[in-house]
Amino acid sequence: MNDHRKTGLNNQPRFQDLRARDRDIIIEGLKHGASRRDLLKWLGAAGIVAAAGAGILADAGIALAQTPKRGGKMRVAGHSSSAADTLDPAKQTLSTDYIRGYIYFNGLTRLDGNTAAQPELAESFEPNSDATEWVFRLRPGVEFHDGKSLTAQDVVYSLMRHKDPAVGSAAKALSDQIESVSADGPGMVRVKLREAYADLPIMLGTSHFMILQDGTTDFSTAIGTGPFRMTEFSPGVRSIGTRFENYFKEGRPYLDELEFFGIQDGVARVNALVSGDVEAITNLPPGAIEEVKSRPELVLLATPSATFSEMIMMCDRAPTDNADLRLAIKHLLDRERYVKSVLKGYGQLGNDHVVPPNDPLYNADLPQRTVDLDKAKFHLAKSGFGAGRLELHISEAAIGTVPMGQILQQTAAQAGLNIELRREPADGYWSNIWIKRPFHGGQWNARPTIDIQLSLGWISEADWNAAQFKDATLDQLIVQGRSELDPAKRKQIYNDIQKILYDQGGNGVFGFQDFLDGHSARVKGITPVPIGNLGGFAFPDTAWLES
Amino acid sequence: MLTLILQRLGVGLLTLWLVTILVFIGTELLPGDVAEAVLGQSATPEAVAALRTEMGLDRPAIVRYFEWISGMLTGDLGASLASGAQISGLIAERFSNTLLLAGLTAFLVVPSAILLGLVAAMYPESIFDRIVSVATMFLVAVPEFLLGTLLVLVFAVQLRWLPAISYTTEFRSFGHLIETLALPVLTLSLVLLAQMARMTRSTILNILNSSYIEMAVLKGVRRHRIVFRHALVNAMSPIANVIALNLAYLVSGVVIVETIFAYPGLAKLIVDGVSSRDFPVIQACAMIFCTAYILFILVADVAAILSNPRLRRKAH
Repeated sequence: MNDHRKTGLNNQPRFQDLRARDRDIIIEGLKHGASRRDLLKWLGAAGIVAAAGAGILADAGIALAQTPKRGGKMRVAGHSSSAADTLDPAKQTLSTDYIRGYIYFNGLTRLDGNTAAQPELAESFEPNSDATEWVFRLRPGVEFHDGKSLTAQDVVYSLMRHKDPAVGSAAKALSDQIESVSADGPGMVRVKLREAYADLPIMLGTSHFMILQDGTTDFSTAIGTGPFRMTEFSPGVRSIGTRFENYFKEGRPYLDELEFFGIQDGVARVNALVSGDVEAITNLPPGAIEEVKSRPELVLLATPSATFSEMIMMCDRAPTDNADLRLAIKHLLDRERYVKSVLKGYGQLGNDHVVPPNDPLYNADLPQRTVDLDKAKFHLAKSGFGAGRLELHISEAAIGTVPMGQILQQTAAQAGLNIELRREPADGYWSNIWIKRPFHGGQWNARPTIDIQLSLGWISEADWNAAQFKDATLDQLIVQGRSELDPAKRKQIYNDIQKILYDQGGNGVFGFQDFLDGHSARVKGITPVPIGNLGGFAFPDTAWLES
Repeated sequence: MLTLILQRLGVGLLTLWLVTILVFIGTELLPGDVAEAVLGQSATPEAVAALRTEMGLDRPAIVRYFEWISGMLTGDLGASLASGAQISGLIAERFSNTLLLAGLTAFLVVPSAILLGLVAAMYPESIFDRIVSVATMFLVAVPEFLLGTLLVLVFAVQLRWLPAISYTTEFRSFGHLIETLALPVLTLSLVLLAQMARMTRSTILNILNSSYIEMAVLKGVRRHRIVFRHALVNAMSPIANVIALNLAYLVSGVVIVETIFAYPGLAKLIVDGVSSRDFPVIQACAMIFCTAYILFILVADVAAILSNPRLRRKAH
């Protein structure tokens, strides 16, 4: 099943399906530096919904990249880096580690602009009828940097090591779904699962599951199959890769050399980009958006994503165990204001569940919640909460929750709800406040699939079930969603999940924030992939420099 | 005199010991630990507990303190909890980078600050003195992070003469070294220069107003002779103090400058260490900074003793 459409994530118009004239407008727009936002707006006017528009633009980027130039050195500054930087895919915890993964390694699959799995080291993949077993057919003739050929045994080793507690893999919880991985003939790998899992190919496209050589235990170097050979790696300083001439993708990578390092300070990172010392940076600080947009030599790359911060209303303790109080609060979130003023427009409205509007699984039937003072007052009166103070704990640690709290406090006062803001120090917030106080701010990074997000923090027994909302139907739906291969049924399951969270859940979601990166206009070939910065961290494979 | 110096040395060692306790308690008080930071997404309570045991974090603090101290005394700084690398190795490279940055700064600043202060003091209320006073006052008031950013804006973003970041330490040539380090060194230098020049000026002015200088003036000694033969010699001890204290200040200044310019020095190592809760690294770096500070103050004290005849004589 190398056609990802079966998973139901991708039944939208593609770039190729557009009329020739429309295609040209998009391509010209991109060439002349029209922002993705402008083009999305234009596509919207042409009757194409934003979700599909994002996919079309991603495809357009690929169409543009058909005449890339070879050569040049690209320098990229990430937003985090430390002495704990690692080349071991299992140990990656920071986005900068993920990028390093994509420089030196490949996964079995690759994620496209719709977060659907595309063939990479596996040239095809198919599930059995109930998705409890997947077979991956490996691409023949793939070489590691040391000249050895990729074998099924390499894949078995790379996947199974995550299950070994001694490895200490950051993806251990995810890999626990795998029962066994076995070589099934020379170029075939069979993955047996504990339970049915339709999203397995997507999970295996993320950087933790990059493919190593069988038996690798030394991570001072990185012998992968990836686009670049490791020529230097000093933790906390920089990583350098030079083009791997025997890369399995003909003609790629385009760059001769890629240098990647971290600049934690946001202002310094922008300065490095503006002064031309680097060609691209991750996590553009919101204050620098205008600066980058105003310069013709720079490009702002906004990637709509599933990253969000939330107001957590814990359902197992007073006063937020009161369902009416939760509903009153949900009707008091000024989402438009948050997206417009805090995210500077680079975000999508939230609807009190985990699925962003650009996701194909988004439930469009649920009315978009806005500030509704009448409904809020009604539920507030019904809750019997009265004029008491409701403490809301917020912190810089959970990005965006401080302005969210301030916005909510003002709106709530109009409905007669008295919210007292408690601003907590960032240090220790996650161990002292999160999942402890009845009403507090939380933050979630985008995950490759909605299922991973739900399994981490919404299924009843999840360690990170921050709202402590426990519902047997919800749990059952989450498990069903994992195994459902039929797109229509799958969509229905996820619609139901969103409905339950929307009506009863403990999450007040203002909005989803885009990944914002900046790069030189000379850099081409980076297309948004919603799971991370700079093309879902996977830009090393596709980026090229205009001379 | 020797007893006096030995006394100072003793006090220095005592301070160092107190510092070890403070550093240890300080890192203990940091919320969260490396086990949680390392595990990230899969930080279940059981996994955290297992990793804590493996790293020895579950043992009593007092035991770990003595292990740490005895390790340090024998030159064993331990291994980084986050990456498993030997801390001595991590530090060796970073330390020389920081030394290069601080050394270059000191090399530039000390002579020029003393010269500026001296000339300003020789011609008080002159145009030159006023310019120096106003300029140094301005620079003292501007914090490093702002000054660094302003310099970057002018020299890297607008003029494009110099790089905005200094993350490399592999220099192709001397010119490349100067180009790479120009902005961080300039940032540190300007702040220090201002401090030192001001203090030198006021010290010398103070001495120039004393009665023995008045006597020299009345005797008809020429001005530059007064300054160099009489005032400067007596100003040596306070100026040595000024230099030592400002170089100690340099130690904290590099933390900010290394962060702004992404320079891979010791300060960046400690900042990284704090964010990944890598206690041994934080402790080792903190001890190096504190030792440097104490050392500078010790040098200032000893210089004061050596240059003061009264203190010199008392010991005999």
